[in-house]
Amino acid sequence: MNEAIKVSGLKKSYGAHVVLNGLDFCVRQGEIFALLGVNGVGKTTSLECIEGLRKYDSGNITIHGRIGIQLQSASLPEHIKPLEAAKLFAKWNKNPLDKAMLEALGIYNLAKKQYYQLSTGQKRRLHLALALTRNPDILFLDEPTAGLDVEGRLSLHKQIRQLKAMGKTIILTSHDMAEVENLCDRIAILSEGKIVFIGTVGQLGETVGRHYNIIIQTENSTKKYESDNIGETLLSLLTQYKENGESIVDIQINRGTLEQHFMKITKGE
Amino acid sequence: MGAFLYGIYLQWKLDIRSKTLLITCYIVPLLFFAIMGGIFTSVMPEARYTLIQSMTVFGVTMGALIGLPPSLVEIYSSDIKKVYKANGVPLYLGLVLTNISAYIHLFIMSIILYIAAPIAFNAEIPENPALYFASLAIFIAVSLSIASIIGLVVKDQAKTSMVSIIIFLPSIMLSGIMFPIELLPKAFEAIGKIFPATWGYKVMTDSVFQLENLLPLVVILILAICVCGILLRKVDK
Repeated sequence: MNEAIKVSGLKKSYGAHVVLNGLDFCVRQGEIFALLGVNGVGKTTSLECIEGLRKYDSGNITIHGRIGIQLQSASLPEHIKPLEAAKLFAKWNKNPLDKAMLEALGIYNLAKKQYYQLSTGQKRRLHLALALTRNPDILFLDEPTAGLDVEGRLSLHKQIRQLKAMGKTIILTSHDMAEVENLCDRIAILSEGKIVFIGTVGQLGETVGRHYNIIIQTENSTKKYESDNIGETLLSLLTQYKENGESIVDIQINRGTLEQHFMKITKGE
Repeated sequence: MGAFLYGIYLQWKLDIRSKTLLITCYIVPLLFFAIMGGIFTSVMPEARYTLIQSMTVFGVTMGALIGLPPSLVEIYSSDIKKVYKANGVPLYLGLVLTNISAYIHLFIMSIILYIAAPIAFNAEIPENPALYFASLAIFIAVSLSIASIIGLVVKDQAKTSMVSIIIFLPSIMLSGIMFPIELLPKAFEAIGKIFPATWGYKVMTDSVFQLENLLPLVVILILAICVCGILLRKVDK
């Protein structure tokens, strides 16, 4: 698969504070790629450097294709109407107004509202639509579902999948691990200014070791356990329950979540 | 060009939707005209010879200094500028569009005063209308350029209003539109010369072209445009 974005040796500091200390990764064409990390680790800085919105100290960034950007914190003049904004941005980028896209994102339903009257979810959809007015090959979404309710999230997930189906490359940041697990082809985890993992969610599980959640229900209680060695832990728990004379009603064993893998790799938990 | 013209049209509509510019460019100046026009002409009947000019200087100064900066603060001190940049819209566009739109609003308000003053208060029409409107055109541009500096320097809406009023009040009090400039203490007369309103009033009441009155406005305009350019670059960084 061809590269859509290649970042090598990207460095960025704010004064003495080093945020990016030699970032290396590539994003493949047509994939949904997530950049993950704890708050303040430099996800937005990385994206903004790649998007050309922020100057970086050193390194190389190669982008193959037109880009569209949905910022984490975005705003518009409070009295502008969604269609007016879309028309202005499309005209300025010398692109025709993509009515089908606006329809799909429900922008026509917001036609009469002014920007300050829109809900968070509606604003997010509008900013996504504005990013798409440039007819981008690569789309940057910085925490696209932050502040959205469940319905808003699901709707946006659907739209992101549709964009991928149209062949667009999507690079996003998110704190919602379920969202990432559900949407993304590959992830990169940023920690202390570097990429500490890059690959699929499945590969992350292999990297950090097999992790399991065990739930044991007895007649009197339900207890949860975590283990990296399922055989030994299970045997020891069953022995312990037997010795205590507790009768087990149900046992559930689940593989560790992306969230647990993420915590393990970023915080060593 | 289509995008630019649409931008002007859109900004014009936004200004009408935003009550701030409507109030500062039309309602307050016209209300001031309705009240003060009556007072001026009854207290000093000779005020009718300069009523159009004085009311216009007040209206333009008010509309520009109080009306424009909040729109600029909204764009340049918020995430709007990032959205513009991220979506390929040049940063200067916000400044240019708001200025053009405010320019049109202020010109319309000035024309209303030009038409209404003779009817309402028997005001004298300027001797040389062509020179008057040319002077008006320059004065509006200068006032907006000063307002643009305020809008680009001050990052906060509340502070913007404060700074605007600090510049607006002496502009009006010391420009000669309220009292003849010759009656002011010498120090105030000298301070008054710093403000464009003083020169705007002079140039608009001239019946023949006088370079010495126009020159300060041209100098202020050029300087202000340069400062705006520098500030815009700073915002871009």
